[in-house]
Amino acid sequence: MKEGATIFQRRIVIGAAMCVAAFALVVVRLVDVTVFHAAQHRSVAAAIASYRTDLVDRNGEILARDIPVQDLYARPHAFWDASYAAHALSQAAGADEARLKRMFAETRKPYVFVARALTPDAQDRVMHAGLPGLEFQPGYKRYYPDGRATAQVLGRTGLDDDGETIGLSGLEMGLDQQLRDGEPGQSVALSIDMRVQYILAHEVEASRNEFSAKQAGGLVLDVRTGEVLGMVSLPDFDPNARTLGTGDTEHNLVGQDVFELGSVFKIFSFTLATEDHKMRPDEILPIGNGYKIGRFTIHEAEHMPATLAARDVLALSSNIGTTQIALRSGPERQRQFLERMGLLNAIHTELPEARRPQFPAHWGQVETATVSFGHGISVSPLAFAAAAAAIVNGGRKIVPTFLKHPEDGRGEQLIKPETSEKMRDLLRYVVTNGTGKKADVPGYDVGGKTGSAQKARIGGHGYEHKLVTSFCAVFPVHDPRYLVFVVLDEPHGTKQTFGFALAGYTAAPLAGRVISRIAPILGVPQHQDPIVVARGTP
Amino acid sequence: MIRVFNFFCIALMGLSILALYDVSEKTRLTRVDLDKTRHAIAQEQGQISVLETDWARVASPERVATLAQSKLGLDNSSAVQLSSFEQLPRNGEDSPLSQSPLRNANAEAPAQ
Repeated sequence: MKEGATIFQRRIVIGAAMCVAAFALVVVRLVDVTVFHAAQHRSVAAAIASYRTDLVDRNGEILARDIPVQDLYARPHAFWDASYAAHALSQAAGADEARLKRMFAETRKPYVFVARALTPDAQDRVMHAGLPGLEFQPGYKRYYPDGRATAQVLGRTGLDDDGETIGLSGLEMGLDQQLRDGEPGQSVALSIDMRVQYILAHEVEASRNEFSAKQAGGLVLDVRTGEVLGMVSLPDFDPNARTLGTGDTEHNLVGQDVFELGSVFKIFSFTLATEDHKMRPDEILPIGNGYKIGRFTIHEAEHMPATLAARDVLALSSNIGTTQIALRSGPERQRQFLERMGLLNAIHTELPEARRPQFPAHWGQVETATVSFGHGISVSPLAFAAAAAAIVNGGRKIVPTFLKHPEDGRGEQLIKPETSEKMRDLLRYVVTNGTGKKADVPGYDVGGKTGSAQKARIGGHGYEHKLVTSFCAVFPVHDPRYLVFVVLDEPHGTKQTFGFALAGYTAAPLAGRVISRIAPILGVPQHQDPIVVARGTP
Repeated sequence: MIRVFNFFCIALMGLSILALYDVSEKTRLTRVDLDKTRHAIAQEQGQISVLETDWARVASPERVATLAQSKLGLDNSSAVQLSSFEQLPRNGEDSPLSQSPLRNANAEAPAQ
């Protein structure tokens, strides 16, 4: 029989067990400190780093960023002179002095809110005031370095019921989840090129002022990738201010509104006729003084010759000629074609504000005629630009995007490549021989089409004597890369335009100026030598 | 022998306790330092973030254009004033420009 363990052996076992337990405790604590708590510290650091991811342009320039700010609170009971404190704080922090005086005098609360989102320099000024009883609460403020220039496309942010920062409009709203879920240090790269955006904003504003237009807008679109390089809508707003100024609006004319765009729509009528072999550019069409369809008569906006070649119908923007061409295809085919081009459905991009197009419920002969020259159908400039881009890019569909996507984004073949080529020739002809002459830029072979639409009466029938003028330009036209679309709402003629407010005098030169400034920046090759250095004549 | 072993074990445990306390204290102090450093890093990152944003503001095209016009008298260049490197004449090339004598360096738009 085996003897039991002696007392010494039991003590040894107990001692060893205690040692093992002690070391086990050490190991458990080490694992706790190095693994679990480390992860916790990392997540705290991450939470402090940023609340909302940066927005940057396609070249990495900051467009929107959360910057650390401080909310300022005061303990009124600590002030020896509440009136002086209110004055000093209003000077340093920009708070309302009267409100502060009232609050400091009346409140029974220990803390009074003074100002929200103080920038570091404002905080510095407050500290230099040397007042006691001030406390800062750290927070973040969304800041837009380019201010108004990007306001309408980026939108703005605000606080929801839980105090979380959320996008309220524009891309801040459209990309809200992506911006909230982003990792610290990361950014969302937009397709916007800030250089293009600034030039577009600058030129559109200049034209709006020159022609005293109610609203104005423009966009630059890459016809191969679908990237929007710039989008401007005026009036705009200051995204860094808390409230809208007088005359400011968040309404985005280019992405949000739908318009009867007028003659610029003739691009689609000619594309359809070319695609279906219903028209030859050199065939002669009778124009006359009016074209009767049932009880309606189609008129021209300007005086036209008795006959015109089909290409001149587009170049001089004849409504009667275009009507005749459109009627050859008929209502059913026209509607089916426009639907295929994406003009009868709301366009879906990262911009959340998109209205559905408006078009006739009954699409008969009269509607075919009016739609052919851009009346009776209202689409957004962005949707129009996307469809026009498909016509010139070889005939393939693109979906506009505000995210950087430099790869070829062309998809489904919508029209034949030969049709696309013929349309490019026709658009170039409009600029060299038609209403778009003022959009031409030496060396860049601009093609395009003007549009001067009478505005429909609000809530009634008929049209006002007010115009919406637009110009759709592509360049370089024989191998298009970019599309520029500009629109002016209610422009007025000037002495320089001899009182005319038509698109050829207002929108076309605007598009030309935009192209002449952005084409060199975008590296678009010139068609011919624009410079002659030291002519060879002795 | 057993007593020696017991003594050794107890001594080892005592040393372990001291070592553990030392490590614990160093860890605590290091954690304090780490928190300070993290706080400093966060502050610096905040400052860098503000500076980058401020740089983006002062270097924005709108501000640069305004300054260039008001202080330097510069204006937008015309498209015909710009050319690409490939379009410049090179030595030995059989082109009209290469053969012609250079008389001045003024840029001149081609006749339409």
